[in-house]
Order: sequence, then C-alpha cells, then structure tokens
Amino acid sequence: MKKILSLVLCLMMVLSAVSFASAEATVPTIDQIKLGEDYTDLTATIKWLTHRTDLVNGGQIAGYIAEFNKVYPNITVEVEGITDYAQDSLTRLTGSKDWGDMMGIPQVEASEFATYFTPMGSLETLSEIYNFADAKAFDGVVYGIPSTGNAQGIVYNKAVFEKAGITELPKTPAEFIDALKAIKEKTDAIPLYTNYAAGWTMGAWDAYIGGSATGNANYINNDIVIEKDPFSNKAEGVGPYAVYKILYDAVANGLIEEDYTTTDWEGCKVMINNGEIGCMVLGSWAFSQMRDAGPNGADIGYMSFPITVDGKQYASAGADYCYAINKHATVENQTATMVFIKWMTHESGFAYNEGGIPINKDGKYPDLYAAFAGIEFVPDTAAVDQQLVDDLNNDSMVLLNRGGDKKIQEIIEHAFNGTKTFDEIMADWNEAWTTAQEDLSIEVK
Amino acid sequence: MSTVNPAMPQPRGRKTFREWFAVPKNQQRVVIFTFAVVPVFLLIMFTYYPFMRMIEWSFYNMSYTKNRGFVGLKNYLDVFTRDELFATFRVSLYYMAGAVVQIALALYFATILSFKTKFTAFYKGAMFFPFLINGIAIGFIFKFFYTRGHVLDTTLGFFGIPLESLPYWLRDTSVNNWSLVATSVWKYMGQNMVLFSGAIMSVDTTLYEAAAIDGANKWHQFRYVILPSISTVLTLNVILSITGSLSAFEPPYVIAAMGSNGTATYFIQMHQTAHVQHKVGLACAMAVVLVLIICICTLIQKLIFKYAFRNAGTDTKPAKKGVL
Repeated sequence: MKKILSLVLCLMMVLSAVSFASAEATVPTIDQIKLGEDYTDLTATIKWLTHRTDLVNGGQIAGYIAEFNKVYPNITVEVEGITDYAQDSLTRLTGSKDWGDMMGIPQVEASEFATYFTPMGSLETLSEIYNFADAKAFDGVVYGIPSTGNAQGIVYNKAVFEKAGITELPKTPAEFIDALKAIKEKTDAIPLYTNYAAGWTMGAWDAYIGGSATGNANYINNDIVIEKDPFSNKAEGVGPYAVYKILYDAVANGLIEEDYTTTDWEGCKVMINNGEIGCMVLGSWAFSQMRDAGPNGADIGYMSFPITVDGKQYASAGADYCYAINKHATVENQTATMVFIKWMTHESGFAYNEGGIPINKDGKYPDLYAAFAGIEFVPDTAAVDQQLVDDLNNDSMVLLNRGGDKKIQEIIEHAFNGTKTFDEIMADWNEAWTTAQEDLSIEVK
Repeated sequence: MSTVNPAMPQPRGRKTFREWFAVPKNQQRVVIFTFAVVPVFLLIMFTYYPFMRMIEWSFYNMSYTKNRGFVGLKNYLDVFTRDELFATFRVSLYYMAGAVVQIALALYFATILSFKTKFTAFYKGAMFFPFLINGIAIGFIFKFFYTRGHVLDTTLGFFGIPLESLPYWLRDTSVNNWSLVATSVWKYMGQNMVLFSGAIMSVDTTLYEAAAIDGANKWHQFRYVILPSISTVLTLNVILSITGSLSAFEPPYVIAAMGSNGTATYFIQMHQTAHVQHKVGLACAMAVVLVLIICICTLIQKLIFKYAFRNAGTDTKPAKKGVL
C-alpha cells in the first residue's frame, strides 16, 4: 500500500514537473500577462535596440527601465541606441540570430515577420486592446506592438502665424498657400522649411496622401493598388495630387528656404523655435522635439494637414516603430521581453510623454491634439495583400512610405528650375505605377 | 633505407614524412604553402567567393529577405534601358574631367618640388594632408564651405566679388557637379603628387646634368627625362583616378544630400537600388557592369600609354651610355 502511495506521489510529481516545464517552454501572448502579478520572479537580461538615441543619451530610457525594475527587479534591460537605425537594424536582423531580444521592426516584408519575430497574440484579441494593432500583423497574427502612435499634420510657429495676421488655421490647399504668402510678406520667417537635404524628411510627405487627403482608411494600402492613375487630379483639392501640389506651388512661388540643398535638420528645430520658420510638414512625433529645442516652446503648435474632403478634415494616424521579440532568443528572454513590452505600453507613459497617440485604448491624448478637435483620425488599415503592395511600390520605384525621398526632392528641383510642370511629374509617376501594375498583373479598376 | 618487412603494410618506396621533410626542396614547399595558405584563404573567402555570389545574384530577382526566382539577363537589360540607372554615367564624366585636372596638377607640383625649392617638405605635407582626412568629414567640411554666405562666398567677397553675382554652389545644377568634383580633386591630388615625387626622386640625377650639358632646358628635362622615367607610376595614377571617378560616392552622398539635384553617380544609384528599393539582383548586375566598364577603361588606357611611351625605353638608355 505504501509502495502504491509513493508511486502515485512520484507520478504526480513527475506530471506536475512536466506540466510546469511545458508552461515554462512556451512564451505567453501579450494579453495573457498580468502586469505586477505574473513573472515577477523571472530572472533575465534582455537587450533592446532602439532608434531613439536622443532618449538614450538624455537618460529618459534609463528612467523608464528604473521604474520597470521596481516591479520586475530581476529583469535587466540593456539598451543600445542606433543612429542609422533603419539601415543598421535591418543588417543586424538579417545577418545573425543573436542580435538581441527586442527591436523596433525595420523595413521587413510582412510575410517575413514569422521568420524573425515571436508572435505576440492574435490580431482579433489585440485589436480590442490596442490602437494600430494591425500595423505589424500578418495572417491574423500580431508580431509587433507600436511604441507610440503618430498623427500626420503640420508643426508650426503660432507667433509667426499671428504676426502674419493668420487668425484661422488654413483648411484647404489654397488657404494654406495664401497663409504662406502672408508669412513671406509680413514677417522675416521662412514660410515653409522643406528639410530637403535630410532626405527622409522629404519622404515624409507620402504619409499625407492616405487618410489626410482622402478620409479613406483603406486608401494607401489597398485602394491605391488597384486604382488607375492614382496621381491624377481627380477632384479639386483632395487626394495625392493635392498633397504634392502644395509642395510644388510653395517652391514655385518662392515660399521655401533660399538654398534648399544646404538645409540642416538639427538647426531647423532651433530655427522654428526662434520664429525663423513658419511651418514644417512633419508627423506629430516632431512636435516635442521642436518645442524642446529652445526657450519659446509655447509658440510651437500642431495643426492638421490643409485638405478638406466634403467639408470634413481628416488626419492620417499610424504606428511608430513597433516593438518585436527575437524568436531565436531563449524562452526566458522572450517572456521577459514580452513583459517589458507590455509594461512599456501600459505603464510607462511613453506614448503620452512623446506627444503620441496612446497605444492602449484607455490611454489619454496629449495636449498638442487640441487643434485636432473635430478632426477625425484615420488609422490606415493593413493591406489585404501586403506582399503585393510592397512589390508594386518597389517595382514602380515610387516607393510610397518606403524611403522614396528622391521623388519628392525632384518635385522641388523641377518646381525651382522650372524643368517640369507638376502635371508632367505626376504623369511620370502614373506611368511607372501603371507599368508595375501590369507587370504584377493587377486588375485595375 | 626502408626495411622490407612483409608484416608491415607500408608500400614499397614510400618515405615517412620525416624523411620526405628532410629534403630541402620539400621544406621549401611546406614553407611556401604554410605562408601562402592564410592570405590565399582570406582572399578567396572575402573577395572571390562574395564576388562569385554577386555574379550569381545578378541573375535573380531578389531582395535581402526574399528570392523571387531566376530572371536570366533581365537585370542586365534593365541596367542599360532604365534611364535613371545608366544615365548616371553622365555624372561620372564630370569626375573623369576632374581626374585629368587632378593628375596634371599633381604632376606639375611634383615636378616643381623635385627641383631646388624652399620648404619642399612643408608644401608636400600641406598638399598631402587632405588625403588623410576621412571622406565623411571632408563632406561635412565642404557642406558648410559651399553653404550660401559661408566660407567660399565670404572669401570671394574679400576679392570684391559681390554675393549676388555668385551662384548657389550646390543648388544650381549648372555648377553643383563641379563643386563636388572640386572636393574630390582637393582630396586626392596630394596623394597623386606624393606618388609622382617618389618616382621622380628615383630618377638618376646625373641624367639632368647630362641633359643640361646637351642644352636641354627645364621643359625638355621634364619631357624627355622625367616623364619617360615615371611612365609606370603615371599609368597607375591615371588608372586609379579613372576607376575612382567611376566609383565616386562620398561627395554626392554627404555634401549633396545622397545624390539629389542631379548629382547621383553610378555608385549612389547602386546604393539606392540595393538599399532603398531592395532590388539586390539589379544592384548586383549594376556592380558587374561597373567591373566590366572599369576593365574596358583600363585596357584602353594601357593601349594609349603603350602608344604614347613606345620610345620610352630607347630614349633613356642611350643617354645613360652617354654619361658613362
């Protein structure tokens, strides 16, 4: 009898050990973790690659980690800030399996997510909890949680606008160009600073052609794929044509800096803060940087892009870099990273501090969105066929939102030198787009 | 010698390693092999193997993360038919023109400094110095140098040239490529000069005396004594400059915002294709085409120089005899 009892006990112990081991062997999804309760005794050292070198050097990231360690003292987070993030992180990711544990997903095709990253949960569940949950999802599985959300608008200097006598923020392209002209006439400020030389600041214009210019969340990832000649002037003052036309007209009317080839990205922050620049077309992430660049932070404002669709204004909104986990790391490290990501999203206040749209749906909006009252945020929906969108953009070399900086720089060059009319540029893009659509046998409607 | 023992399976006539190694010739072979194996391995591993893979990839439609299949010669056709790719060679012509100026200047300074001049070492050092600066740093230096109202404009202002009559050095497409070429000449001229003056120093000084006795002036000395003697170094410098001008990258990338405003060279376009458009196959094909073009350029130069210096050998030898 005793023998049987001990056998049963033994069996039970083995079973529980097995079940314990199997619980340990899988990484939880992010929605399963209860912050402050689960995994508080987990010991791990994780490495985080981030593009926010400014926050690494400024000590803010260390501050977040210190807060995190009050709850999870045994998880050590090492941070590496990378200056040329878009390029270097991709090289590290594709080059080796032990690049670290956590990174913001660089330009990787959606179908490749599963090769590199740990699944964080199903899209169905997570889209209930998070904004922009579909930003880095593939086949209904989420691989990355956004660090913060950005709205697309224009960062401007309130004092300059006031001095120019602009009492109401422009709502249409024509009003916007008039406002720039008023700034040029009545102040010494550069009405619109292009940041031509930095390159990526030019590609940023692509972010406005979707939700902001059409009010259609489906536009940039799906509708444009099957649209015939998307860059034509189809309706007055809306759509991609209107967005790029604003830039062309501003240059052609001499409403930008004198020598665009020597613009200076770091310098422009100080200049707008001092009132030497009227406005710049940049995402909401830029707001805090411009505000903190000098003593006149209170002058910096943020407004929506001057396009009105059927009497209503919209603003594209989307995810910033999305945190993802290295699937080749140990289970402990993956779990610890998942805990840290959940903490960063729910508890750190990161999105709020950065002036971003909250990621967890119950988070609060920072003050800068005050000017967005009555404006509808349009988060771009994910592509039905992400691969096809990537291929179309790469093959046509139009590269919307994919580092197509050169084509926007060329708008400025042509507008300034008068080498091509705006309609000619758009016709070129349409032609490239159509050719790629044909090569990929896309049915155009 | 080796004992014939049926119990031992060792085949007849085969020496042990120790015996084999005792032969000096074999020792020499081992030494040569062991010395050569490391560099040859490194060369194959890091030069030839990647190069072969690059040629292989040039036949595929692929990105860094994905291979979309074999496409044959399509990438090569694209290099020649896509306007934005092949047209960049036009920009390389600016750099080739710059290379000619650069060689001429280097030769001029090297020759002058080889005659009796004061502060020779200082001049040489000053002119060689830019070569030692990192290319990216040079880029930033010149970015500010060319900015409106900065160094270049104010310097020209001292000479009474008003700002209004000056072009925007990087914005105006009629001058911006020349501005960039100038930085490249500034950087590499010193290096060419040092190579030239090294070669000129190795010229037998008695030749100058002999030439002077024969009534040759400085120009004749340069034309008939110095130039033929340094023809090898001259050829080398020209080849390096021309290949360098085909592969110019840093000036347009750093100074002119990644090759914007019509300053994109072939290298910049290759970088764009591979790293922005993720068309790795096409970029590989571009690289292969560049290698072929450089080979052709080198061959043409060789032929030209062979023709230009066809009498070089016979020119100098009688002179030497004359001295003796």
